[in-house]
Amino acid sequence: MNENRQDELQLVVFRLKEQTYGIDIGHVLEIIRATDITAIPGAPAFVEGVINLRGRVIPVIDLAHRLGLAPINISENTRIIIVEVGGATAGMMVDGVSEVLRLSRESIQPPPPMVAGVSAAYLQGIALVDERLIILMDATRVFRREEKEVLQELSRQVEERSAS
Amino acid sequence: MFTEEEIAVFLEELEEKLQVINDNVLLLEREGGSPEVIQEIFRAAHTIKGSSAVMGYEKMSTLTHEIENLFDRLRQREMEVSETLVDVLFEALDTLKLLKDEITGSAGDVDVSAVIEKLRACQPACGAGGSGGAPAGGGTVPAPAGMSDSREPVDLPTQARDTGSGRLLPAGQTAGLSTTGTSNGYQTYRLTMELEDAVEEVVREAEVRGFQAYQVDIGTDQGCQMKGVRAFLIFETLQQIGEIIKSVPPAEDLQEGKYEQGFTVVLLTKEDAGQVHDLVFSIAEVSSVEVRPIKLRVWEQTPAPDAAARQQVKKEAAPPGKDNIKTVRVDVQKLDTLMNLVGELVIDRTRLDRFVEVFESRYGSDDLVENIVEISNHLGQVTNDLQEEIMKARMLPVAHVFNRLPRMVRDLAHKMGKEIDFIIEGRETELDRNVIEVIGDPLIHLLRNAVDHGIEPPEERVRLGKPRTGRLLLKAAYVESHIVITLSDDGRGMDPDKMRQKAIEKGLMTPEQAARASDREILDLIFTPGFSTAGTVSDVSGRGVGMDIVRNQIEQINGSVEFTTAPGRGTTFTIKLPLTLAIIRALMVTLGDHVYAFPLTNVLETLTLKPGEIRRVRHAEVIVVRGHVLPLVRLAHLFQEESKEEGKLSVVILGSGDKKVGVVVDRLIGEQEIVIKSLGGYLGQVPGLSGATILGDGKVALIVDARGIVKDAGVEEIIYEVNRAG
Repeated sequence: MNENRQDELQLVVFRLKEQTYGIDIGHVLEIIRATDITAIPGAPAFVEGVINLRGRVIPVIDLAHRLGLAPINISENTRIIIVEVGGATAGMMVDGVSEVLRLSRESIQPPPPMVAGVSAAYLQGIALVDERLIILMDATRVFRREEKEVLQELSRQVEERSAS
Repeated sequence: MFTEEEIAVFLEELEEKLQVINDNVLLLEREGGSPEVIQEIFRAAHTIKGSSAVMGYEKMSTLTHEIENLFDRLRQREMEVSETLVDVLFEALDTLKLLKDEITGSAGDVDVSAVIEKLRACQPACGAGGSGGAPAGGGTVPAPAGMSDSREPVDLPTQARDTGSGRLLPAGQTAGLSTTGTSNGYQTYRLTMELEDAVEEVVREAEVRGFQAYQVDIGTDQGCQMKGVRAFLIFETLQQIGEIIKSVPPAEDLQEGKYEQGFTVVLLTKEDAGQVHDLVFSIAEVSSVEVRPIKLRVWEQTPAPDAAARQQVKKEAAPPGKDNIKTVRVDVQKLDTLMNLVGELVIDRTRLDRFVEVFESRYGSDDLVENIVEISNHLGQVTNDLQEEIMKARMLPVAHVFNRLPRMVRDLAHKMGKEIDFIIEGRETELDRNVIEVIGDPLIHLLRNAVDHGIEPPEERVRLGKPRTGRLLLKAAYVESHIVITLSDDGRGMDPDKMRQKAIEKGLMTPEQAARASDREILDLIFTPGFSTAGTVSDVSGRGVGMDIVRNQIEQINGSVEFTTAPGRGTTFTIKLPLTLAIIRALMVTLGDHVYAFPLTNVLETLTLKPGEIRRVRHAEVIVVRGHVLPLVRLAHLFQEESKEEGKLSVVILGSGDKKVGVVVDRLIGEQEIVIKSLGGYLGQVPGLSGATILGDGKVALIVDARGIVKDAGVEEIIYEVNRAG
């Protein structure tokens, strides 16, 4: 990582719903196939479940669902990107991982309020590489559970309980 | 007196309880005083009061006592929640936080009298509390006098020897610590001392003459005045019972006051460690004393012929010294990581086994196949051993908890005017670190109860023809794959008939119900919140708080608590704990496509039912098991899974506390040992689940929160009624 210069960014590039996204490689621990995910009843809908990562139990989210898009249909190409954010390890399921890319920081532009149906709240910016639009994910924001969401989830649980 | 580790544990618990109070006072303000909220605050205050008193934080104990009082009255509906009250509560909470800072040294001296005054002013003028009308509750605050006097001469040295109170003090404690070798660096003040050859020789000779050498670590008060005089006094006192052969720093420096927080001496004496401890501790401004027998090192050299006889004498002396050198402190997290890695090994081995089976069936008794079988078996053996060793590395002797109890019992006994011989057995019994951290609190509750209303005052005992001094035995031992801790007293015991009366008075039962209930059912009422047999309120116990918490805390770590009692002869509590929290036995079941695990401690039995056997009570499904009505929970419904089973129903009967619930699953697989893993911070607490585990095939199975399910099965009142009526 020594050759990684200050003005340069390394991205893991992945696909989600026909769009190309990138995530800072600094957050990425590894990339695995999407197999043997155990669903968690009662967890938020975008939580796909938990997996066994060499003896550790790691939660996996469906990134598309998390961003407000339609849930991912698991296929041969589906991958789980294991990331470390804020001291916690978690996986995010994507439609496929293509490459690792170097990008100069200068080429990154601030995101418009909405890109391909995704709110800018989850994004670091956008970049044009070889005429491809790459949307830069902000891993920290994706895994931060906003207070509002937690509250919504709680009220959902309460409703379920009182309904049952 | 307390090690840094103990103080850290205390602070952690304090933080947690303060948070509980904070959250619940907020609820109180928002939604008024529901019984649950009041009970929560009451319990948290009670716990802080107890542990701070043990640790000697008098102001905190006094303040929480006052909060507890107030909430007791709220609980008894003697007063209402008001805006002023909430304001004062927050002020009290802030003061508690300041007191915490005072302990950690980040705040100066905190005054609690003003806020205590306000707390009292909030209460209606009438003094008598509902639970026995005790003036002690509302009027004077019984400051935990015995708790704070560590600096004052409690006993004259001669008395200390005569009364035999040495048994209460850490004679065995020090031995327990030094033999395990885990004590390095834990003490508030301790010095590692190398004995020069000359000194070692003196010690050897003295031992032959029947003297024991002790390393005495003495810590003095922070603000200790005239340090030189203090050191001189300590020297004088110790020389009355023996000979000081070495000190660090040297004696000259000490008597000029040239030392920091304390010093260490080597003492030769015929007295036992407890008495030495008593004696030094009775000197003013001594804040900590630790007495450890010095064991000479004999393992270093191969015995020379002339040293052979000497070796013989000190054969048993070798291991402790050995431990001291060969022990390292390891971060628990590292052990957890190791444990995880072993877990992976186990999984891979299981997979290897499967291949071996395939090879065997495909190629028969080929030489290579036999080799693989052998390797696989050996790998299995090594993996098992490895797992076991790492488990053991996580264990600590129960002395870590037990050692802080004698002092507490002694102080309580003094305060209550009781005479108690407190005996501890099995300090060396080892338990998982996590379990150790949790059992302290319940043990303190039980001990308090035993001292406060188990053991009678001396005069009463004499009148009853019992020995004047009460006997309290705390014992830890291994029983199969569990640790059993028993606490027995030879005190009053509990009288079911008196308790019947009490239950009726408290409105917990109608006279008819009380008459019909068995003695056991009546006795188990002590685990019901709000039930207390003590006539008076003291700051020790006797308000009916405690036993329900005790059971709760013990069950939280998959343990159980039971007791036997005989009126006039005493009570014995038996706490059964798992050796470790990391591995439990579980009942594995399937539901839909998934495997779920039920902790076996909560599984009472399993049954198979026909759908027709389910009945309904007010929209809730129930089943009848041997005449008892149990609520029925469908796991599929709870977890929103598709049940795959038609026809007959597999039911797991779960129990927690008094309550039982039947849970319908698809299929029972069987029992299995599982390693508990957390679901991780990101998911946090998921309702209905308590964790996850990794199965032999590498898949993750979820562990069902059995206690939570039992607790949430909301029809218990109806069922209780039905059971009572029918």
